[in-house]
Amino acid sequence: MAHKRRRKRQLVEEIELSMTPMIDIVFQLLIYFIVTFEPQDVMAHLDVYRPSPEDRKEQTETPPNLIRVEVYAEGYIINERRVGLTELERVMTRLAAIDKNQTILIMATANSKHDQLINVLDLCSKTGLKNLSVVSTN
Amino acid sequence: MSKRKKKALMAASGINMTPMIDIVFQMIIFFVLTVEMERDSLDPNMNLSLSPHGPAVEKKDPRTVTIDVSARGRISLGRVPVSAEQLYAIMRNTVSTYGQSTPVVIRGDSRTLHEEVKRVMDICTSAGLWKVQFAAIKDKN
Repeated sequence: MAHKRRRKRQLVEEIELSMTPMIDIVFQLLIYFIVTFEPQDVMAHLDVYRPSPEDRKEQTETPPNLIRVEVYAEGYIINERRVGLTELERVMTRLAAIDKNQTILIMATANSKHDQLINVLDLCSKTGLKNLSVVSTN
Repeated sequence: MSKRKKKALMAASGINMTPMIDIVFQMIIFFVLTVEMERDSLDPNMNLSLSPHGPAVEKKDPRTVTIDVSARGRISLGRVPVSAEQLYAIMRNTVSTYGQSTPVVIRGDSRTLHEEVKRVMDICTSAGLWKVQFAAIKDKN
């Protein structure tokens, strides 16, 4: 009887979980992940409308309230005026105050940088202009 | 006597943690590995432009096709370089499988000339895809 009880007690003690090694490992893992963690950049997706190359010829007449923004490697032209980025922002803010739904036709030249196009699109999204078309010119 | 009894009772009522810990670790490993895989599909040598006011990506369409255009105009899909003809074939295939509303995200380097981006856009639009988006960095961490 006494022998049996001792055996039972031994079994109960074996079931008890020893937490120390587990905590050690978990902390190791935690430190590893914290050290190797590098936060990812928050991405933005700028939506544009791109006319298909087939119906490029059909677009001969231009809608009345259309604003042309031309992107050149050296700068921008809006409404036949050469502007820098700050000036462009000023003009676009003023235009957006009139009507946010007017169409902005962004004409990018072949040798302009992609960065400049993104800058224009960013300004459009900042000022709230939504109808954006991107066409390419030579 | 009473002490021993109490101890036995405690051990009996304690939850066995081992299977739970096993499962939790499995899940941690799974999530860590899948996050790494998603990150690996994007080219790390790309210098994206900043767009602090652009709309942040909240919910991504699972069909989204991401096309990388490097500074020198090399086109790649999921870090695999493709030619213009191959890209066109892939885009045609995408249209027939997922429809014309499949979003296309163009990740262009900030130094890429518009010419190269134009080429990719023309391929997408001539394949019938009209949802073209440009990727930019909203917040640099």
